[in-house]
Amino acid sequence: MASVAIIDYGRGNVRSVKNAVEHCGTDAVVTADAHVLNDASHIILPGVGAFGDAIAALKAQGLPDILRDQVIAKGKPFLGICLGMQLLADRSDEHGAHDGLGWIAGDVARLDPGPDALKIPHMGWNDVTLTAAHPLFTRLKPDQLTFYFVHSYHFRTADNAHQLARCAYGTPFTAAVAKDNILGVQFHPEKSQDSGVALLENLVRWNP
Amino acid sequence: MLKKRIIPKFLLRDGRLVKYVRFDEQPREAGNPVSTAQVYNDYGADELIILDIAPSDASRAKVLDIVGRISEQVFMPLTVGGGVRRLEDVTDLLRAGADKVAINSQALRDPGFVKAAAQAFGDQCITVSIDYRDIGNGVFRVFGDGGRAGSPHDPISWAKRMQDANCGEILLTSIDRDGTLSGYDVEIVARLNAALDIPLVVSGGCGGLEHCIAAFGAGADAVAISSLFLFTDHSPIKLRSHLVSNGINVRASKTSRN
Repeated sequence: MASVAIIDYGRGNVRSVKNAVEHCGTDAVVTADAHVLNDASHIILPGVGAFGDAIAALKAQGLPDILRDQVIAKGKPFLGICLGMQLLADRSDEHGAHDGLGWIAGDVARLDPGPDALKIPHMGWNDVTLTAAHPLFTRLKPDQLTFYFVHSYHFRTADNAHQLARCAYGTPFTAAVAKDNILGVQFHPEKSQDSGVALLENLVRWNP
Repeated sequence: MLKKRIIPKFLLRDGRLVKYVRFDEQPREAGNPVSTAQVYNDYGADELIILDIAPSDASRAKVLDIVGRISEQVFMPLTVGGGVRRLEDVTDLLRAGADKVAINSQALRDPGFVKAAAQAFGDQCITVSIDYRDIGNGVFRVFGDGGRAGSPHDPISWAKRMQDANCGEILLTSIDRDGTLSGYDVEIVARLNAALDIPLVVSGGCGGLEHCIAAFGAGADAVAISSLFLFTDHSPIKLRSHLVSNGINVRASKTSRN
């Protein structure tokens, strides 16, 4: 029986993530406690706000080490959402240079408004193109691959093999990453109605 | 490609869903906000905007409760505003389940508040809501306190100033058109869109499909719709299919996705 721990580090709308996971019929708990995390079968790292501030908040609660134990050492299925995905990178240049968790090689850079002077943040529903097959997207038909995004920065993976899906806003950017048991999505499944709930259902059924 | 958004807008008074015409006539009752939100979710609305138009200590608690109950059942972005004066108000709304918080009158009282809120919670969490009306001779001015408090600000220069204060989105409402079903103020929308680098949601006056097409044509990223959905037989499903057939890039309707 799956049970999902949603990391609470004082950033982001964690209640919506909990609501959406519970809507899948799965137990969910919002926590920063090592013992509670140890009891969970799956871990979600949500997050909105600024990269440096979020890393500092994680460190203040000793979470990088706790998560490393659960996700890297024990191999628990993990999903980072939005900033929670970007935090997996080696570094970000959002408001100064900051080190990330370094679990998936790459860096985080500001979206380029390009010649069309696109509006930043990239906010709203956009189509996602899968670049690899993965259980996270099973049962989602091609016309269901539309998700809600809100972000100003994007994850540039160093190795294309870690990219699971792309989205285009002016230029293509990484919409989802995967490396072993570690997954990340730039969009918000908890805000993406049926498509997002289906993705979270896939996550809690996934036992790599 | 990024989709244009269709956003039902709820006005709450003492926790009840109401609808006004031009902000100042007697409100019409418009139903239960939680069940109405579920209906719009089933219709595939892209987001919801929820504004408390007569904020008080008592209504604040009701709004938090309503937002909490909506966020348990409805998995789309929620923008909530009305009476947001302190950073703690933003915290409370985000904790209750809001994704974005709309700031209006407090920005006029203290423009530094928007910058502080954007810094504390992230730019994308902070929407600045701008209500404006024509005060004569084609001069437009921003109004606070539900249209009661005048200001010296032109809506376009005010929106740019709020963008410079790092808000993530502008919600622009024409008081003159609100509730009238007479169409969006497309001229201002076009001028504002040309001036902004952040997303623009336009509100006030939508009475039909052609009004949405005109607003999107003028550069709006999203249309907020209230009376049209509440008091006519239009729904987000019907509007969406009309927009698709008119070449507007919106999400495919929910029925066709299932």
